[in-house]
Amino acid sequence: MSVWAPLLTMLDASAVARAMRGSTWLYPTVEVVHIVGFSVLVGSVAMFDLRVLGFGRAVAVPAAGRMLLPWSALSLCAIVPAGLLLFSAHPYELSANRVFQLKLCLIALAGLNALGFHLGVYRTAANWQAGAPALARLQAVVSLGLWIGVIGCGRFLAYS
Amino acid sequence: MVKALNLHLYFIEYNIHPGGCMKRLLTLMALCVAAQASAHHGWSEYDDQRPLRLSGTIEESGYENPHGFVRLKTADKTWLVVLAPPSRMESRGLARAQLAKGATAVVEGFPKRSDAGELRAERITIGQKTTELR
Repeated sequence: MSVWAPLLTMLDASAVARAMRGSTWLYPTVEVVHIVGFSVLVGSVAMFDLRVLGFGRAVAVPAAGRMLLPWSALSLCAIVPAGLLLFSAHPYELSANRVFQLKLCLIALAGLNALGFHLGVYRTAANWQAGAPALARLQAVVSLGLWIGVIGCGRFLAYS
Repeated sequence: MVKALNLHLYFIEYNIHPGGCMKRLLTLMALCVAAQASAHHGWSEYDDQRPLRLSGTIEESGYENPHGFVRLKTADKTWLVVLAPPSRMESRGLARAQLAKGATAVVEGFPKRSDAGELRAERITIGQKTTELR
């Protein structure tokens, strides 16, 4: 943690952090942006994962991916800046918080899982008429579990 | 029952076939909700069986998000007293200026289980004015 200490000090003292702490409505407004963002992210990811698992076969997997996944990517433009702003308000407390650390680990794992899926098994998705292969289904289940875990950690931050 | 029927019709309309997998998923979700509901009352990190009333002087205060706070110097030690979000304090008439350094305050609340120096205040009295914080 000591490597990060100067950065955390700088962030904690920044004008942005002071505004986040001090302004009555900024913090809750940024929370709303964060929540709307991850609703779109986890919503679209979950719908896609469920399609990979075999639900809603009326839409082919690649078509579902083309429709849903751009929203997942776009939602990050709201979630990440809002998350950084929320973090800036209390960088010491959060970075030392076990639930927050777990949340970041789960996000990293979800990212790696998605990366592995897209570089790997998803390249054959055009041929999944008979159903997705076992690896794809496994990655879809892992994705669902990780994102639910991320939301759980985010909520439990308020109680830890 | 009506809800289940609607869900069923939805599945038919959109050609979704809930098999054993879907049933297991729904069961799992129901269990998670039940587990969270039962865990909720045991979750509180503040001990509501041990209400405390502290009086002292404000050494430092923060009219901050997500929760305001004061460091309250009492006869035996200085407590970190967690207050409410500034928006709530503002709407209940507890202005930033009232949490001035050196002011005398009385707080009632619950101590944190894991930190003997922290209290979550249910209400704070400054001068003659008591503000409910929950």
